[in-house]
Amino acid sequence: MKILFTTKGTEWTSEMDQRFGRAEFFFIYDEETKEIATFDNRAISNEAHGAGPKTAQKMAEYKVDVLITGNGPGGNAATVIERVGTTVFVGAGAMTAEAAYKAYKNGELKKI
Amino acid sequence: MKEIVVISGKGGTGKTSVTASLAMLGLDNMIVADCDVDAADMHLLMQPKQSETSDFFSGVLAVIDQDKCIQCGKCAEICRWQAIPVIDSKYEVQALDCEGCGYCALVCPVQAIKMESQNVGDWIISDVKSSTKMVHAKLHIGAENSGKLVAKVKNEAKALAKSKGLDYVLVDGSPGIGCPVVSSLSGADLVVLVTEPSVSGIHDLKRVYQLVKKFSIPANCIINKADINENKSKELKQFLAKEKIELLAEIPYDDNFTKAMTMGQTIVEYDPDGIGSIIKMCWNKIK
Repeated sequence: MKILFTTKGTEWTSEMDQRFGRAEFFFIYDEETKEIATFDNRAISNEAHGAGPKTAQKMAEYKVDVLITGNGPGGNAATVIERVGTTVFVGAGAMTAEAAYKAYKNGELKKI
Repeated sequence: MKEIVVISGKGGTGKTSVTASLAMLGLDNMIVADCDVDAADMHLLMQPKQSETSDFFSGVLAVIDQDKCIQCGKCAEICRWQAIPVIDSKYEVQALDCEGCGYCALVCPVQAIKMESQNVGDWIISDVKSSTKMVHAKLHIGAENSGKLVAKVKNEAKALAKSKGLDYVLVDGSPGIGCPVVSSLSGADLVVLVTEPSVSGIHDLKRVYQLVKKFSIPANCIINKADINENKSKELKQFLAKEKIELLAEIPYDDNFTKAMTMGQTIVEYDPDGIGSIIKMCWNKIK
């Protein structure tokens, strides 16, 4: 599984970013290869309008299986994500990326 | 820290009156954020003073360097908004018509067009009468609210609440269901829906609730002016029951709302034992 976390930093210990569209960073973990990738999304989070779909489009480039975030995404972003086929888990907004991963593994996050 | 966002879908339901009242009840344990920036009016009730003002930049506008321009007219031809007319034999961008798409800059053969960041208004941190701070914004003429500005106002409010160790951020959300509302909702812990028993009140509540559901945020509801239409009030309550949205209170229509407003007061100050006590009960339920 390749998992994308919306975060406020680039480490496992970074806080999660509750927002999807205006998330500051992507933290991507590949469970098979154990590789970590990050993406600075702050340029998109500074867009006046349409941050959600733009972030979703960026996310699509990373071809992840799972998205873990706070309480988004909104309507337009959700449409993009649905088309890409990524599974979304929410409710990790107040955790670190590490804690969010554990919560996901333990089935504690809400799937939408 | 708990972030409470008050939205309505429809304008004129009493959203800001309720939000300002909640602010007077939460007092110095919260930071207040006015994210209804297109028609910001919470300051009328909260009476901000000693403000700290910062510029806000958002979006871009085409600017033509007349020294480089070779008058080919390609920009004017391509512009969907006809924002580049010829004035005194010069191609000039009309600021209010330009949408900032950048197509003109792309087709200009001599790179005479630059897309410049726009200073669209100010964002402000003020001391308000509820013994706390309010983060709000003021747009320049012709500028519009955006998800970016709402995010800015909310993030500043959250940062302030965090640094002071306060328990609440109270957000007066934007009307409608567009980008600013999405941005108002994102990251919230609780939504308070303020509605009224009218055709458009119900319609817009249903519409905005679809959005709230997308964000998986718990919501509850205040029916304001609950007695102006019994049938519609019943319809509203059926909808709330079906969606399992807690009904916090039904507030009857009351002239005291308007009287309080004309004196720059919230209803909890003007009528603490009447309508004010109903809102106090709501606050005790949501806090």
